[in-house]
Amino acid sequence: MNESPRKTEKEAQASPLSDEQLMAAFVKGSHVAFGELFSRYKQPLFGFFRRRADAAHAEELTQETFLAILRGASRYEARALFRTYLYAIGFKILRAHRRRAAFRLAFLGKGPEYREPAVQDGAEAGLLIRQAVARLGAIDREVLLLREFEELSYAEIAVVLRLPLNTVRSRLFRARTALHDLLAAPAGKQAVGELTESEEHV
Amino acid sequence: MNTSAHPVAPEEVMALLDEELSIAEAEAISEHVKRCSECAGLAEQFHGTSATLSRWSVPIAARMVEDTVEELTGKESSGGKIGKANIFIRTSFWSWKQWTVWIGATTVGLTVLFAAAGSFYVAHKPRSVHSVTVAGRAGASQSEIDAYGTVGKLETGHNLISGQAESPMFNTSTGFGVGTGSRDGTGPAPPVAGKVDSLVSGQAPMIARTMTLTVATKDFAASRTLLEAILARRHGYAAQMSVNTPENAQRSLQASLRFPAAELAPAVADLKALGRVENETQLGEEVTQQHADLMARLKNSRETEHRLQAILAQRTGKMSDVLEVEQQIARVREEIERMEAEQKSLEHRVDFAAVNLQLKEEYKAQLVPPAVSVTTQMHNAIVAGLQNVSEMVLAIVLFFFEEGPTMVFLLAIFLPPLWFVWTRYRRAMATV
Repeated sequence: MNESPRKTEKEAQASPLSDEQLMAAFVKGSHVAFGELFSRYKQPLFGFFRRRADAAHAEELTQETFLAILRGASRYEARALFRTYLYAIGFKILRAHRRRAAFRLAFLGKGPEYREPAVQDGAEAGLLIRQAVARLGAIDREVLLLREFEELSYAEIAVVLRLPLNTVRSRLFRARTALHDLLAAPAGKQAVGELTESEEHV
Repeated sequence: MNTSAHPVAPEEVMALLDEELSIAEAEAISEHVKRCSECAGLAEQFHGTSATLSRWSVPIAARMVEDTVEELTGKESSGGKIGKANIFIRTSFWSWKQWTVWIGATTVGLTVLFAAAGSFYVAHKPRSVHSVTVAGRAGASQSEIDAYGTVGKLETGHNLISGQAESPMFNTSTGFGVGTGSRDGTGPAPPVAGKVDSLVSGQAPMIARTMTLTVATKDFAASRTLLEAILARRHGYAAQMSVNTPENAQRSLQASLRFPAAELAPAVADLKALGRVENETQLGEEVTQQHADLMARLKNSRETEHRLQAILAQRTGKMSDVLEVEQQIARVREEIERMEAEQKSLEHRVDFAAVNLQLKEEYKAQLVPPAVSVTTQMHNAIVAGLQNVSEMVLAIVLFFFEEGPTMVFLLAIFLPPLWFVWTRYRRAMATV
């Protein structure tokens, strides 16, 4: 059963099993199942973190999330979809990472490392999107990103962020409207240097 | 969009695009969007925002992530242990129960730490301050204070001394009053002055007697009067007494009595006659050896004092030697006084037996008509309730007046650094 995630990537693509069935198999000891889950969610999870942290930290946090699943497999209960479970863990780890970074910065004087833009093509439009998203409120931003990029349902977002369902809906609406205004307004077309990131963080 | 006049909320249009509506709802709103240009425009706006966002791409995850997870998975599957996550991640997964336990444990730990520090401080406080204070309060001599050693014991001694002073049988000339009765309480005993020598020589054992008696009586008032009579007749006294006489409830009396050892047996017989004996325990502690040792040490100390005084009288040495001898004499004198006080206490315990009496009334509940009308009782209850509220408010106000300055002072000390740390942390959170 000692098969690596890489070996099972092709199998995962063709696997008819759902995420929840794979997780159940992994809980029973099948590391092949874990390999398939890893193959399915490696890139989405990396994207989740990459839109919220720099490349090095995104990789580290991706690893930590899968390790948390490995560590907590014995305590896993199939009460929700696997991806809700995965992103809920990822979100906790992201918050832990932010707390740790803030602690190091505030009390040890160690500032965050260089944060390169998530957009690799260097296009100004992409950079403006990122800056506009950063200007949204913390919760609004997270709701928007989870919906647009992770494609979670409203109910799943509510579980991940521990918010009421109606709050998720109203905040998503507000975030989309605000983002549209930010991108459409003349300020959105100003030089990148004039844009400042939101000081709010979840 | 005017939502008050519009039949479909903009959020519903958004939910339609996100496929978050039921089939029926989706059909209805979809039909509306087809007819309503305003909603169609809104839907177009959402589409446009999503399309814009989709231009925010991220690169492919590095191979390193895969390798690391693969390696750790292999390690885990082969029975190895994966290292622990850092403390920030671990605490992220804590439940409220774990937080409660952690905070509770920390609070208890700090409390214990402070309590230990407080005890340490009290234990290492100079004793002389206590002694002087208590001596002034109790009117006891320094030797008596030293004999008891601690404040708590001295309080007991104080009660004893007070009780003796109040007792008609307390004889100040002999120190502890009645000197009659044998050690075992069966026959006449020599006077106190003569006891010590005879006991040191081992003629009779010295026994400190303690007795506990619980008696239930039908006539509480009569029994109490009888108790006073027994004390007078048997030359005893009450070292401590408390009487509870609640209305329409059982009355009781608790007393710590002292009787001359010789009178103990008849006194106990008298006490038992007060009513039905519910409980009786006796304890006899032999202190003969303890007394003999004490007397021997006392004798030695006295001889030492005599020898030192003789040396001092000669004055043949240097001034420093003379001073040293004087210091030694002072030390020995202090020891002698302490042992003399101990001796008196020990002998008193032997001479006077302690009887802890609990007298209870055999109470029969009776139906007593209320003394006042229901209306009056309700009025009184309301008045009492209002009074309680006003007293509570007053107590709170007084508390803040009394403790407020201290709290303000502590806040002034601790709040700025805590505030500084918190704002610094929040600022750092905003930048990461």
